[in-house]
Amino acid sequence: MGGLTGSMWIALNALQAQQVGMETSANNVANLNTPGYSREVPVLQEADPFVQGNLVVGGGVEVEGIQSLRDSLLDLQISEETQQQGNSQAFVNAMNQVQTLFPDDTTGIGQQISAFFQSLNSLSTDPSDTTLRQGVLTAAQNMATAFNDTAGQLTDIRQQLDSQVQQQVQQVNQITQQIAGINAQLTNVGSSTQEYGAFLDQRSALIQQLSGLIDVSQLSDGPSLTLTTKQGTALVVGGQSYALSTALGTDGVQHIYSSQDQDITGEISGGQLGGTLAARDQTIPSLQTQLDSLAGGMVTALNYAQSQGTDMYGNSGKDLSNLFEPITGTGAAADMALAISDPNLIAASSDVDPSQGSNGNLANFSAVANADVSNGMTPSGAYGNLVFQVGTAVSNQSSELGASNAMLTQLTQQQSSVSGVSLDQEASSLLLYQQAYQASAQVITTINQMLETVLNMGAGS
Amino acid sequence: MISTLQLSDLVLNALETSDTSEQNALTQLTSGRRVNSDSDDPAAAAQEVNISSQMNDCDQYLRSITSLTSELQTADSSLNSVVTALQQAISLGTEGANGTLSQQNCTTIAQQIKGIAQQVFSVANLSYNGTYVFGGTETTKPPYVLDNSVAGGVSYQGNDDVNSVEVAQGESVAVNQPGSQLFSSPAANVFVALDNLTTALESNSSTDDIGDAVTQLRSAYDQLTSARTFYGSTVDQIVGTQVFLDSESLQLASQQNSTVGIDMDVAVTDLTNAEESRAATVQAASSLNGTSLMDYLANMER
Repeated sequence: MGGLTGSMWIALNALQAQQVGMETSANNVANLNTPGYSREVPVLQEADPFVQGNLVVGGGVEVEGIQSLRDSLLDLQISEETQQQGNSQAFVNAMNQVQTLFPDDTTGIGQQISAFFQSLNSLSTDPSDTTLRQGVLTAAQNMATAFNDTAGQLTDIRQQLDSQVQQQVQQVNQITQQIAGINAQLTNVGSSTQEYGAFLDQRSALIQQLSGLIDVSQLSDGPSLTLTTKQGTALVVGGQSYALSTALGTDGVQHIYSSQDQDITGEISGGQLGGTLAARDQTIPSLQTQLDSLAGGMVTALNYAQSQGTDMYGNSGKDLSNLFEPITGTGAAADMALAISDPNLIAASSDVDPSQGSNGNLANFSAVANADVSNGMTPSGAYGNLVFQVGTAVSNQSSELGASNAMLTQLTQQQSSVSGVSLDQEASSLLLYQQAYQASAQVITTINQMLETVLNMGAGS
Repeated sequence: MISTLQLSDLVLNALETSDTSEQNALTQLTSGRRVNSDSDDPAAAAQEVNISSQMNDCDQYLRSITSLTSELQTADSSLNSVVTALQQAISLGTEGANGTLSQQNCTTIAQQIKGIAQQVFSVANLSYNGTYVFGGTETTKPPYVLDNSVAGGVSYQGNDDVNSVEVAQGESVAVNQPGSQLFSSPAANVFVALDNLTTALESNSSTDDIGDAVTQLRSAYDQLTSARTFYGSTVDQIVGTQVFLDSESLQLASQQNSTVGIDMDVAVTDLTNAEESRAATVQAASSLNGTSLMDYLANMER
């Protein structure tokens, strides 16, 4: 093709190309605030030239496709960092609740332990005084209640985390299903279409959401994208998603199973699920064990002290009642309870003959305050250690969270400068397309006039 | 190229950061504590558990000392009245022993000594807040009862035991002196001595017998005064401990303050900085608006 009609053809194509440019710009501006949207640009290229006799004439412009501007390496980094952030965030949220159960000052177990030993000191000034004896029982009861409450709330928090695990697994399944759906769609649309870019944007946003929930490894790209956990459990392979499931384990908490029914609970290390599991399965059980050890150790030591004395009725040795119900091991903190309600049964006396004013055995009770009751620690030392552990766990993960947040901000900024929409840029693009459009239209007008001239050549004669 | 969203994100992040620091500073200022949860400073929080337990212990020791001091002082002043009475008995006995008095006068003196014996008996059964003070650790029944079957007519039903009370970490003090040390030690029994003196005076005995009875009373008096010093010296000791505990409390409070307390300068500076940085961000954000090239385009077309 050549001649005037050829030129007309070139100009028409040019009009279309500039129009596509205007459309992408308009689309970019429209999606200025759309999360996950990547800026698009038309890919313009020279059209095939055509041959006119000995001449080779340029064929104008054609639109090869529309490209989304994205940096897949940045996407990967963001996904990694999102896993870390989700992990820390979930852990910190869970442990912030736990942290309030271990106050360092005027409430809680530490305070009650301290108050109990003080009540013993009070009693030693007047060991036959019923009010002071009752004071010891009340303080002992308060201490037991503090242990009960703390242990109960730890269990509650653990149960909350357990139901969170279920919800999070459901969310993971929903997202992997959506990603598989997008993969299937990607196979159907060409890679140079605007739809393709839009699907990639959606998928990338979904992968980020997924990374917030669970640790994800990403293999290959495009329609055949494969997502697995870090340990290799398949989540999405191309257009197929593999749902995780949960079931109650023998240890009383929900376990997570792969689509092949493998227990992968211990493998999950990232995302909110990772953080929730770490708190549920490691940190909180460890605190529970130590709390039980402290409660059991104190009960045993105080009952032993009781067994060394004589009560107000003259009972000694095996005739004496225990001060606390004897408990040790798992559940000790939850079950800690007074064994007596009669203050006269406290064996304060060290005299074998039933003299009621001796306080000799109270020293044995008081000595428990400085004795090794739990893993080589005194009661107050063991409680302080719990406070330290809870505080350190929260503080470490909070720092991690801060670092992740800073890193994510940084990465998002970088991604934004690659994929984000700049109104300035779009404005200047619009101007360029507009001018090119006007110029092409002018070319068409000119060619039209020339054609008229040619057509009128015969009419005039 | 900096995208348009990027700028608003930057502003948001900056605002969030300054809001968080402002909130932290405010929490610190309102609570007066630098450590408001364990994670703010885990080591300090653990230390605080220890410090606050020690502070509570100190308060308890001080309460115990207050109650002990008042009991010990009551015992001491009661014993002081016994000492005075016994001095009077000794001088009356000495008068009776010089042989110049009529039997009539001797009988009168004997009556006076009986009265003194009753006074001593009542002090020996002193009770404080419902517990008997001089019965050893047998505090729920009167230590001395009238009993004509024994010498002196008074028998001791307390024991020889002593209670100790911890008044500071690692410091225990004995808090009672049994009556068997004060009034009725086998070698120097106040009641026996007073009874013997009364009998000697009433039965018109020889001045030597009266003199022997006075000597016996004097040795019982010596025993009482020496055993009684226990109360004075224990009060002195625990008052000393009290002074120590008061300064210990102050020391712990200052340690607590430096461990978890607020550093006022830092918190106020943090607050001011956060507020200023917030204001600056808002200022910068307001000048960002309406600067895109799009606005230029819009203006151009008018």
